[in-house]
Amino acid sequence: MSVQSETPRRAASPAPRARRGSFYAVTVPSITVLLILVVLALGAGWINPYDPLKQDLIHALQGPSAQHWLGTDDLGRDVLSRLIVGCRIALIAAAEATSIAILLGVPLGLYIGYRGGWWDWVVMRIVEAVMSIPGIMVAIVIIAILGPGLHRAMVALGILFSTSFLRLARGVVLTEREEVYVRSARVVGASDGRILMRHIFPNIAPPLIVQTTLTVGAVLLAEAGLSFIGLGVQPPDASWGTMLNTAASYMELDWFLAIPPGIAIVLTVLSINLLGDTLRDTIGRGITVAVNPAVPVARFDASPEGNREIGSEPSPRRDDDVLRVEGLQVVVSTADGEVPVVTDLSFGVARGETLGLVGESGSGKTITSLAVLGLIGAAGRSTHGAITLNGTELRGVEQKRMEAIRGNEVAMVFQDPATSLNPAFTVGDQIAEVLRTKKGLSRQDAWARAVGLIDRVGIPRSAERAKAYPHELSGGMAQRIAIARALSCNPSLLIADEPTTALDVTVQQEILDLFRDLQEEFGMAILFVTHDLAVAADVCDRIAVMYAGQIVEIAPVDDLFARPLHPYTAGLLSASPHGAGRNPPLPTIRGSVPRPGAWLLGCRFSDRCAYKRPQCEMRVPLTRAARRMVRCARATELNLRAGK
Amino acid sequence: MLRLVIQRLLALIPLLFIVSVLTFSFTSLLPADPADLIVGEQGTPEQYAAVRERLGLNQPIVTRYLRWVDRAAHGDLGTSFFNSVKVTDALMQRLPITASLTAVSALIAIIVGLAAGILAALRPRSLIDRFATLGATFGQAVPNFWFGLLLAAIFAVGLRWFPATGFTPITQSPWDWLRSVTLPALALGLASSAAIARQVRSSMVGVLQQDYIRAARAQGLSRRRVVFKHALKNALVPVVAVLSFQITVLLGGALIVEQVFAINGLGTLAITAVRRQDIPMIQGLVLVMVGLVVIVQLATDLIYGYLNPKARPS
Repeated sequence: MSVQSETPRRAASPAPRARRGSFYAVTVPSITVLLILVVLALGAGWINPYDPLKQDLIHALQGPSAQHWLGTDDLGRDVLSRLIVGCRIALIAAAEATSIAILLGVPLGLYIGYRGGWWDWVVMRIVEAVMSIPGIMVAIVIIAILGPGLHRAMVALGILFSTSFLRLARGVVLTEREEVYVRSARVVGASDGRILMRHIFPNIAPPLIVQTTLTVGAVLLAEAGLSFIGLGVQPPDASWGTMLNTAASYMELDWFLAIPPGIAIVLTVLSINLLGDTLRDTIGRGITVAVNPAVPVARFDASPEGNREIGSEPSPRRDDDVLRVEGLQVVVSTADGEVPVVTDLSFGVARGETLGLVGESGSGKTITSLAVLGLIGAAGRSTHGAITLNGTELRGVEQKRMEAIRGNEVAMVFQDPATSLNPAFTVGDQIAEVLRTKKGLSRQDAWARAVGLIDRVGIPRSAERAKAYPHELSGGMAQRIAIARALSCNPSLLIADEPTTALDVTVQQEILDLFRDLQEEFGMAILFVTHDLAVAADVCDRIAVMYAGQIVEIAPVDDLFARPLHPYTAGLLSASPHGAGRNPPLPTIRGSVPRPGAWLLGCRFSDRCAYKRPQCEMRVPLTRAARRMVRCARATELNLRAGK
Repeated sequence: MLRLVIQRLLALIPLLFIVSVLTFSFTSLLPADPADLIVGEQGTPEQYAAVRERLGLNQPIVTRYLRWVDRAAHGDLGTSFFNSVKVTDALMQRLPITASLTAVSALIAIIVGLAAGILAALRPRSLIDRFATLGATFGQAVPNFWFGLLLAAIFAVGLRWFPATGFTPITQSPWDWLRSVTLPALALGLASSAAIARQVRSSMVGVLQQDYIRAARAQGLSRRRVVFKHALKNALVPVVAVLSFQITVLLGGALIVEQVFAINGLGTLAITAVRRQDIPMIQGLVLVMVGLVVIVQLATDLIYGYLNPKARPS
């Protein structure tokens, strides 16, 4: 006996194409059932094979037969006829109670919502009090005042369910009241009644329709319940609820009596509810089926040869490389099949070195760092290449082994500390947990170490702060905690994904300094992912520039800034030395980064490049040039400057 | 935590006040004159006047309300109009029955709902996921008392595994209590379990996409630990928020399902009282209901505070 609230129940909505199919699969049977119900209710007098009240005690409690399709009840009355009369009762009940609920709830809700103040407060407290009592009890008390019987019980249900309409109408008014068009209507001098009717009421209609269907379903169940316990429809009149009451008494003799009325209730309520759900979805988002705009998608060669054909030179091997990535390709599955998001990716990070992975969003930086951790998720997978961490190949390593490697050998700091720390546990607990599970420390030792780490990352009063929850800390402090947790097991590689982007500018520098300090002390390799070249210049030794899932240039910071070899790098350098927003379109380069799946076959930057030549339409390999590598067909002939 | 308890308790005062005023004034609206009912048609005008005097019906309504509240606070809810039974005694006799039925059904709803919801979240579109969706859809449409009838027909009348009617107090025989409470509790709880499963699923699916889950995995914590510790504690927050509502629904459902299994609980008491317009009994019933709901709300508020540190007063 409850009306569901107006919140979407589906967590993940089905794919658009599937939705239209299920739209008809649900609505057609539902509407059919309800139409049959209405026809039976209206035509009960003609359709009924027998008089629903005529007793025939000699033929009592008989099962289905040719004369009585659904059998007879305890007094020999025809069950089918009573069931059909029950349709009429159900229809009357639903119409009465729902109309009362709407007529009572909507105007009152509109009024108190619009007027606000004292009236609003009192009515809402009363509504809350009523809603805190089980609905059936409220109905029972009202019936105690009015007396039992169908119409009185429906008044009771109408009053009960008016609370949900009242809250709905009030909610809509509260949001609309302050809208500009309503306020301007008021200024112009429109009367309150006119404003309510003309401007606010139309906004209530869609949720009202949905709430009405939900209420009809709830009313039908409640009516059946009340009639079942003898407070609704009174014998000998037939309603589905009273029929079930009879069935309950004769369960041992004839259980079939319970079946027809029960199925009638379930079918009707189910149809109404499903229709309500569909209406809610339809009103909510419109039933138009979205079709992806046609995009010129480059034919993508997923075979290993496709990658090798490019002929990129291997990045130089160094003895102190902690991480080596070679020829990595990552694909994600979309509605149109698997789409590559990273291709032909090779780089290395050495002990004590910081490599910056720089690019605009959509260039594949973050997916690369997740690939190293083996955490791309169910939607994606790496298809080619090698990821070697401290000499161990990580691709294809089994789950347990990978879990042991994470935290111990490689750890990650995420962009936004507000979302990367678990809100439900204290920060000390989150660090200590890692130490307990990864290092097998006891509770006390782990806590003491956690406090030590918090102190080490520069948080004063660490013992006290360890007991804080993430939301009690500032962004900068929370990011220090995340860094402390990442370093808790002393990993040889730290991946930092935009670790300063979500922070205040004043705090950014402190966190960057912290990274430098910690690297000096712990000597780990850092893979620093950022969109901001200025930040990269500050902390990195070398920078790898990514564009559309590829590395277009890798070079030591000084070389890169002094003389970019790739036109995209040059564009980046001249665009915003101090990254202004998250992703402003680069002023010196027209266009924007192509989406994965819409990459060009040849040089992926060529359609935005001022130096484009016919040879740019061929695949371009990454080639070595002194201490650096570049992916540009004209790298040797161009003489680029930052800012052209 | 203590501060949270105090804060919640204070918030209850206006609710209790409004409910008591509503209850009292609503039942004063009853068309029947209680003195008339008690004296009956054979009564003399003197007897009638005496009864009115005894019931305090000649006093102003505010005085009557205050006297009623004062007595209620001392555990005296008056005497039934129809027999000399004390309302408090009658309620206390039935309360354990309805309360234990509601508690067991809530337990079923929570356990089954949690398990199914988590499994469905971990394997979207799997069999268990579809089953939970289907169960929630049907749970919303199947009347609990009809479901109870079906269960009784199959497992009590047909298979004779459980008694079809009656209730055995747990103090008398725990085993028989369990047997007598199983079917009604299932009839009540299964529909709610499907609703809870849907809630758990959708909030769990949302939480599993959060950064802190990925961060915990990046830290090398096992999948099981991340799901059952890091994700679950967060996923339960919205579930607990609607749990007290679900239990209130169960409590209301219990009143009806009692009738299916001929259980002599608060539901039966309420129906008799309504038919006889037994005012003190109805007043007492509403207060007991509100009391139960308030306890449930308090409990879920505390669980909510435990799960969600942001909700704790600082």
